[in-house]
Amino acid sequence: MTRKEIWVYIERNNSGVEDVSLEILGKGTELSNISGYILVGLIAGTPEKKLIDLVIEHGADRVALLKNEMLNEYSTDYFVNAISEYIKNDPPEVMLIGATQNGRDLAGRLAGRLKTGLTANAITLSIDREGMLLAGVPAYGGKILAEIGCEYGRPQMSTVRPGTFKMKEVKNKKGEVDEFIPNLSAIRQRVRIVERNVSEVNDLTRSERTIIGGNGTRGDLTLLKELAQLMNAEIGVTRPLADRGVAPRELQVGSTGYSLKSKIALVLGVSGSEHFTSGIRDCEEVIAIDVDEKSEIFNHCDYCMVGDIFEVLPLTIKKMEETR
Amino acid sequence: MKNIIVCVKVVPKSDNIIFDPVNKRLDRTKAENQINAADKSAIETALRIRERVGGKITLLSMGPPFFEPFLKLGIAMGVDEAILLSDRNFGGADTFPTALVLATAIKKIGNVDLVLTGEESSDAGLGQVPSQIAEFLDFPQVLFASTTDISGGTLIARRSIKGGYEILESDLPAVVSVVLGAYQPRFPDFKKKKWADNNYKVKVWNGEDLQLSESVTGIKGSFTTVKRLVEIPQSSRKKIIIDGTPEEKSSKLVEILRKAK
Repeated sequence: MTRKEIWVYIERNNSGVEDVSLEILGKGTELSNISGYILVGLIAGTPEKKLIDLVIEHGADRVALLKNEMLNEYSTDYFVNAISEYIKNDPPEVMLIGATQNGRDLAGRLAGRLKTGLTANAITLSIDREGMLLAGVPAYGGKILAEIGCEYGRPQMSTVRPGTFKMKEVKNKKGEVDEFIPNLSAIRQRVRIVERNVSEVNDLTRSERTIIGGNGTRGDLTLLKELAQLMNAEIGVTRPLADRGVAPRELQVGSTGYSLKSKIALVLGVSGSEHFTSGIRDCEEVIAIDVDEKSEIFNHCDYCMVGDIFEVLPLTIKKMEETR
Repeated sequence: MKNIIVCVKVVPKSDNIIFDPVNKRLDRTKAENQINAADKSAIETALRIRERVGGKITLLSMGPPFFEPFLKLGIAMGVDEAILLSDRNFGGADTFPTALVLATAIKKIGNVDLVLTGEESSDAGLGQVPSQIAEFLDFPQVLFASTTDISGGTLIARRSIKGGYEILESDLPAVVSVVLGAYQPRFPDFKKKKWADNNYKVKVWNGEDLQLSESVTGIKGSFTTVKRLVEIPQSSRKKIIIDGTPEEKSSKLVEILRKAK
């Protein structure tokens, strides 16, 4: 038997939950209205009540709580075991997970364990009349969107790209909590964290003003950082720059990175492959500077400047400083 | 002496795939192929581990016969053996049967210490195969590693996480997916390349060799299907061109940036 439900995996972090989990709940509310499926937030560990309330206030009709202190920190072995044991006998119709590193780690293995289909990094989600989840994924260089359905196996699983959907608060929403205590004493945690070094980072998906550098910056972000400081903006990069280690992955914009919802995005030295442009689709205003007038990026911006960023930026910085 | 497997995929260069909007089909005939870039980082990772601790590296790939010359490229980079998993029934597989076929071959090889893969392929970009191989082998998994090493019976990997990095240790055997750019892959050795092209025979295993029935591989073994291909709509941006000297452009840029505040 399957449950007529949509489950959203709520990924916890140091400050509460990952935004993407609440974003999926926002979209899930819409999918729930279309399909009649109940929206359930799946939380693991022993969170504060505040967090459970937050999940309900963002649209969950119910919270499924896998209560065990061993689940307060993510580990593949514990999480896959606890979740699969909990749902394997009566799986929900749909299960959605944010496409963060740990979310992707969990989703792939869970789908393997549950013998069901999984789609990755969806940027669109819908449910058709037969109750099938259609997850839209940019494919083949991002030129097209492939809508993928899970014919066999339940739950129908998909991971969802962070920043794609908008979270919505639902006032006075009530929801019940189902508790389950998984027994993990026989499970060995085979991968262990021996060192972790993390500094506070700003979430790119929340950035209101963003400056994004591509190959045209030659990997030198000095000028971009100066300008970013003057206009109180965040820095993002294209995938090639992240691949080269110029900036960490969490600053990568586009497919397999983050989608932006900035009010203004300044795109510098970016050629504009679809893999990238899908990540700035939802920005209000986009300005691009690139030396190549034939750059595809100029089809995806509001203001197009053909020029050398190493000429234009120093002048811009000077003027911004003078008129501060 | 470690027994290392590297799983690779041959992918089309995405620039030369053409989408036919009328028939909603992809024309891949003009596309050049290459070993997936992240998989090359996985090969390089394996070569470096072998340099330190010794062992044997086997390249493993599921795909049609035209993959063979690409696997020989791996031989020219320095791997010891290449096995192609090829069968008409393997076609049209989603990640589940793909991982199943690879995992079954790894079991057949036997006594494996480490399985390396790229983080994801450039064409589909799902990144699910590594964790599903790990699941089917019941190995632990470490995804998105930037450095990977073996010390005694333990795997040590470092990966970037939001705002920093973490170092993980794992039991062996394990599956590790390697991020693109983890290491700069070495160039194939020219002499070895020539030798491999003329003399090296890639081992080919089919469904029967792996004792996998038709029903669990390829399209039949897949859970997902592509229901529709849609062209991603062109953006409705204003596309206002700003001309002039760098001086004029920067003035205009300042104006736009100020207005947005």
